[in-house]
Amino acid sequence: MMHQTIKRDGVETVGDPYLCLEGVNKKYGLVEVISNLNLEVRKGELIALLGPSGCGKTTTLRMIAGLIAPTAGRIAVGGRDVTHIAPHGRDMGLVFQSYALFPHMTVAKNVAFGLEMRDLSRAEIAQKVAKALAMVQLEHLAGRKPRELSGGQQQRVALARALVIEPSILLLDEPLSNLDAKLRDEMRAQIRDIQQQLGITTVFVTHDQVEALSMCDRIVVMKGGLIEQVGTPHEIYERPATPFVASFVGRTNRVKGKCMVDGGIQIGSSIIRAASVETPGDVTVMVRPHRILIDWDATSTGQGETANRIAASLSRITFVGDVIQFHFDVDGCEFIVEESTKKAQATHRPGEKAMLSWNVGDTLVFGADQ
Amino acid sequence: MTTATFDLPVGSQKSTSAAGIAIALLLPIALVNAIGFILPVLNLARMSFNEALPGGGIADAFTVANWTGLLQDGFYIELITNSIVVSLGITLATLLVSYPIALYLHRASGAWRTFLTVLVISPLLTSAVVRTYGWIALLADQGPVANAIAAMGFQPPRMMFNTTGVVIGLTEILMPYMILSLMAGFGRLDPKVEEAARTLGATPFRTFRRVILPLTVPGIALGCLLCFVLAISSFITPKLMGGGRVFLLATEIYDQAIVTLNWPLAATLSMLVLIIFGAALAVYSRILRMIEG
Repeated sequence: MMHQTIKRDGVETVGDPYLCLEGVNKKYGLVEVISNLNLEVRKGELIALLGPSGCGKTTTLRMIAGLIAPTAGRIAVGGRDVTHIAPHGRDMGLVFQSYALFPHMTVAKNVAFGLEMRDLSRAEIAQKVAKALAMVQLEHLAGRKPRELSGGQQQRVALARALVIEPSILLLDEPLSNLDAKLRDEMRAQIRDIQQQLGITTVFVTHDQVEALSMCDRIVVMKGGLIEQVGTPHEIYERPATPFVASFVGRTNRVKGKCMVDGGIQIGSSIIRAASVETPGDVTVMVRPHRILIDWDATSTGQGETANRIAASLSRITFVGDVIQFHFDVDGCEFIVEESTKKAQATHRPGEKAMLSWNVGDTLVFGADQ
Repeated sequence: MTTATFDLPVGSQKSTSAAGIAIALLLPIALVNAIGFILPVLNLARMSFNEALPGGGIADAFTVANWTGLLQDGFYIELITNSIVVSLGITLATLLVSYPIALYLHRASGAWRTFLTVLVISPLLTSAVVRTYGWIALLADQGPVANAIAAMGFQPPRMMFNTTGVVIGLTEILMPYMILSLMAGFGRLDPKVEEAARTLGATPFRTFRRVILPLTVPGIALGCLLCFVLAISSFITPKLMGGGRVFLLATEIYDQAIVTLNWPLAATLSMLVLIIFGAALAVYSRILRMIEG
C-alpha cells in the first residue's frame, strides 16, 4: 500500500514490511468493529495504534497476538502467514494494560515462564531471566510476588516477561495508562530505549497522543474500526488527513468557513487563505492555538502576504499554568490562542480588540463532507 | 439502652456506644448458638463418657470405655476408615464433574451466566430425599441406566444398594455446593492472565496446569472441605441408596441412637465425626496458608 520513507536520526530508510495486515475484518454478530484494515510495519519499527476507546485498536492488537481471530483477512509476520496459528505458536510478546502477571509466582518465575514453555535448560533460563531483570533494573526484586510490587515495578516485570522470550514482535496494550504522570514519562523513555537497543518491531496501542507522538516512528490513527491516517508523528501533526486527526492529535481551533471560487476562505467578514485549495463551498478551517500571533495594536498593518490576518475581540482569558489561553470572538466564531505565561500579560481585558495572524501554511482546510 | 448511649456527647463515648450496639446486635445470635449448639455439643461430649446399660439405660459415670471399645473393635475401625474413604471418593468425584462446569460459569457473562447459575442451584430447591428416590429409580436393576447398558451388549453392574449407588447419589446431590464453592474461590482467575500464558507459548494444557489450576486452589480447597463434611455427615442418601448394606458413620450413629438405644456409643461416634471435621478444617487452613506464603 503506502511506501513512505521513515526518517530516523536524519537517515532515510525504506524497510521491507515485516508485519502485514491485509484486508483484516472483525465482526461481532452484525457489528463490524474492524473494517478492511491494511497495515504494514517494518522490522525494528515502533508503530502506535492511536485512537479513542472503541476505535478498534486493542481488537487489532489482539488479532495480531492471536487472542481473537479475524472474520476475514490475513496477518503475516516475516512472510509467514500466522492468521490461523494459535497464540502460543506465534512467538509474540504481549504486555497487558493490567500487566496480567501470574499472582502465584515470584518475579523471577514470571519472567522464566515463557522460557520454561520453550523447554530451555535451567542454566539457560536462569541466565536469561537475570539479564532481562537487569534490563528493567529489577534484579533485587526477583524473589518477590507481584502483589508486593508497585504499579511501575509490575509494569517492568511484564515488559521483562514479554521481552525475555525474544519475540518476533512486541505488543504493548496501553502499558502506561495505569501509572502516575511522572512514572509514565520515565517509562516512556525506558520503553523507547529498550526498543531501540533490541531493534524489536513493536506495536503500541494508546489513546494518549503525547505517547504516540513522542515515542513512535509512525502513528496509525484509528476511528470507528477504520484507519484515518498513517504517518510519522510530524506528518500526523502538521498534515492531518482528516478533521478527526487534526482535533484528536494536538489541540486545534475549529471554525466553519466558506471556500470561494478564487481560493479565499471567508470566515465571518474576513477572508483568509490556505496552502491547499478546497472545492468551493462549506469548509472546516483548523488552526493550532499556539501558531496564532496576537497583535494587540489592532490598527497596525500585516507582516506580509504569507500571513492570514483577522480582526477579533477578546472574550475570555484562561490561565492554564504553562500557557495562557486567550479566547477571541471573530464574528461569532471562537478562536483560542495560546501564549506561554512568560510572554503573556494579564493586563488584557475582555472586549479588547486585537489582530490575529498566522501563516498560510498553518491553515488546515477540510471539505464539508469530511 | 441504645437511645441512652446516643444522647451522650461525641468524643471518647462514641466508641463505647458503638461497642454497645455491636454487643446488642450480637447477643441474640450468641444466645441462640449457646443454647442450640454449644450446650448440646458439650452435653454430647459428656454423654460419650457415660456408661451404657443394656436395654437403653444410661448410667451416670466417667468412663473412657466407649472410646477404647470403639478403637479396639475391628468393625468400628473399618466403619471409620470406610466412611473417610467413601467421603473422600465422593468429594473427588464431585470435584471432577463440577470443576469444568464452574470454570465455564466463571467465564460466562450476562444473562446466560445468570440463567446457568440458577440452573446449577435449582437442585437445592428439591429435597435430597426426592432426588435420592429419583436416583433409585434410575439406577435400579431394571432401571433405564441398566437397560441402556444391557442394550449395548454389556452386563450391567449393580449400581444400587451398594457403595457405587451411594457415591453416585451423593456426588450429584453435592454438586451445587461444590460448584458454588469453586466459583467463590475463582476470584484470582483473571482471563488476561490465561491470555498472558498463551502468548508466552503455553499450550492450553500447560496453561491449565501451570496457571489455571494453581490459581483455583482456594476454590478447590473450599469446595472439597464443604463436600467432605457434607458427605461424611450425610444420612438420608446412604440410608436409602445403601439399602442397609453400606455402613457409614452417620447411619451407624442413627442405628445406635434410635435402634440399639446405646446413646453413649452414639455420642462417642458423633464426637468422632466432630474430630474428623476439625482435622479437615486444619488441612484446609494449612492449604490456604501455603498459597498465601
